Amino acid sequence: MTGPGTATTDPGVWAAGPGTATTDPGVWAAGAGRDAAGAGEAAGGGPGPTGVGIGWRPEIAGFVAELPGLRFVEVVAEAVAPHGPPPAGLAELVERGVTVVPHGVRLSLGGAEPVDPARVAHLARVAELVGAPLVSEHIAFVRAGGLEAGHLLPLPRSREAVAAVVANVRRAQAELPVPLALEPIAALFDWPDDELDEADFLTEILDATGATLLLDIANVHANSRNRGTDPLALLDRLPLDRVAYVHVAGGAEQGGYYHDTHTDPVPPVVLDLVGALCARHRPPALLLERDGHWPPAPELRAELDAIAAASGYPVVT
Amino acid sequence: MTVIAAPGDTWGISGPTFLWVYLLAALVVVVGSIVHRRRVLAGPPAADVGQLGPQQVAFLNGGNQLAIWTSLGGLRGTGIVGVRPDRRLTVGGQLRVGATPLDRAVHHAASRNLYASELGRDGWVLRALEQLRDGLQRQGLALTQAQRLSARRGSFLLLSLVLLGVARIVAGLANDHPVGFLILLLIPLAVAAALIARVPWRTRAADVALRELRRRNLHLAPASDPAFSTYGAAGAALGVALFGTASLWAMDPGFAEQAEIQRQALSPGGTSSGGTSCSGGGSSCSGGSSCGGGCGGGGGCGG
Repeated sequence: MTGPGTATTDPGVWAAGPGTATTDPGVWAAGAGRDAAGAGEAAGGGPGPTGVGIGWRPEIAGFVAELPGLRFVEVVAEAVAPHGPPPAGLAELVERGVTVVPHGVRLSLGGAEPVDPARVAHLARVAELVGAPLVSEHIAFVRAGGLEAGHLLPLPRSREAVAAVVANVRRAQAELPVPLALEPIAALFDWPDDELDEADFLTEILDATGATLLLDIANVHANSRNRGTDPLALLDRLPLDRVAYVHVAGGAEQGGYYHDTHTDPVPPVVLDLVGALCARHRPPALLLERDGHWPPAPELRAELDAIAAASGYPVVT
Repeated sequence: MTVIAAPGDTWGISGPTFLWVYLLAALVVVVGSIVHRRRVLAGPPAADVGQLGPQQVAFLNGGNQLAIWTSLGGLRGTGIVGVRPDRRLTVGGQLRVGATPLDRAVHHAASRNLYASELGRDGWVLRALEQLRDGLQRQGLALTQAQRLSARRGSFLLLSLVLLGVARIVAGLANDHPVGFLILLLIPLAVAAALIARVPWRTRAADVALRELRRRNLHLAPASDPAFSTYGAAGAALGVALFGTASLWAMDPGFAEQAEIQRQALSPGGTSSGGTSCSGGGSSCSGGSSCGGGCGGGGGCGG
């Protein structure tokens, strides 16, 4: 990741953020209020995600379609065309009553500039297309000053950043037909000017927006492993009652760091964290997030079974 | 208009009389041929598509060659067949339980280090393919030679009518009689004869079965960039059977290239399409000219 140097040295990235965020909170009150009313309970089509799910990808659509107990999948929102029918395999799952949650990766809620209305409209359209009870996005920025980073970059945990995220989340909530869940991302480093710790940073954003939390348990492991902090201490401080669902992804140790690759198996240490999380407050749903280097079907089924075993939810295979 | 035969009439039949009788005969033959043809080509009312194995599907979809590629894809998927640096096939293990006769034949050919392109000429492989075809003919999905000839029968009758018409035109011209209407009538008749002579080699029941299988297995289409490592050898075989060797290239580009397997993508519509193969295979699709070649898809192959 090359972000830290370039972004911290450029105050312009954040210059616009606080201003726009604090101008007039009243403008966004309606959106936030509506969302707060619907928070926790699904306001959209079907029921909220429950149990063990898997990230739907076209590459493994045939595998996902044959999971008999599956009640919940997630689809990358940007991969679904806004007009016309959803991909065939996904449409069949919707017909079967499987909950489909669109997962955005390009909104750039953490960007200093206002979130792009066209991207929000696309996320809203996809949510309607699949009858989603909620949508999710990352607390990150993917573009700044007109430059596309091409991947998710972490925010400094400053009050300015909180204000910028909150403003953008409210803008998005005002246009979305369903509640929004926010996912913090993995980072290999902390910004030097962090004012808040991870838990406070997230809690402030959730409190201000009424959004729910999409907790990536592998990121919890990655962040604590790479910074030498205690993941259980973070779990103890996070608002676990506001978790809409949990991402469980694979990763690999490389060069002294844990990389959240999504292309490796879920390591036992992450499954242990799932158990620790569920012992504190079991989330309504957990989702296996795999994005490539696809293993044979039995291995993928075993990963789903392991998540079911760690969380105590019924097996879906 | 008079219809009484006059001394100058060709063959002693007046032009209008001949035209009317000829038209009636043509209509009867055309309608009869179409009805007969539809009945012969229908196949059984409802084939259970779930019962078809990948190689059967491949034979129906693309004839002998696609059945061979499907067998090879399945054997490669389980690691039993490989390819040597000199591009000849080789074996790397024993056949599994449940191997089809075609699998045995291809495996045997690989153990003799044939080139992949030679498989279709191997005697053992050809016998296995005959067995495959016979089974499908018994199920009413592939047409026998006798059925194809029968479906074509109408075109022979039509051709006879056309020849009769031509003779009449020649005779009429010799007598300086007008023949314009007859010529106009002959053109659609000749076209109908040609159309009815074109007989597929699978029944409509097989068409329906293939459509249903493609619909059910869209996730194996090259456009989905299927994870064949997850779907396994059976998924790879069905992918090749339904969507062509583009699936083999996507599954194992190194093997496909080394074994010189022609890349071919059968689109869901059943016709060959270079676009599909080039969009799905990712890095394996840099082959340029090899994209989209191959067999004409749906009805054209094998036979």
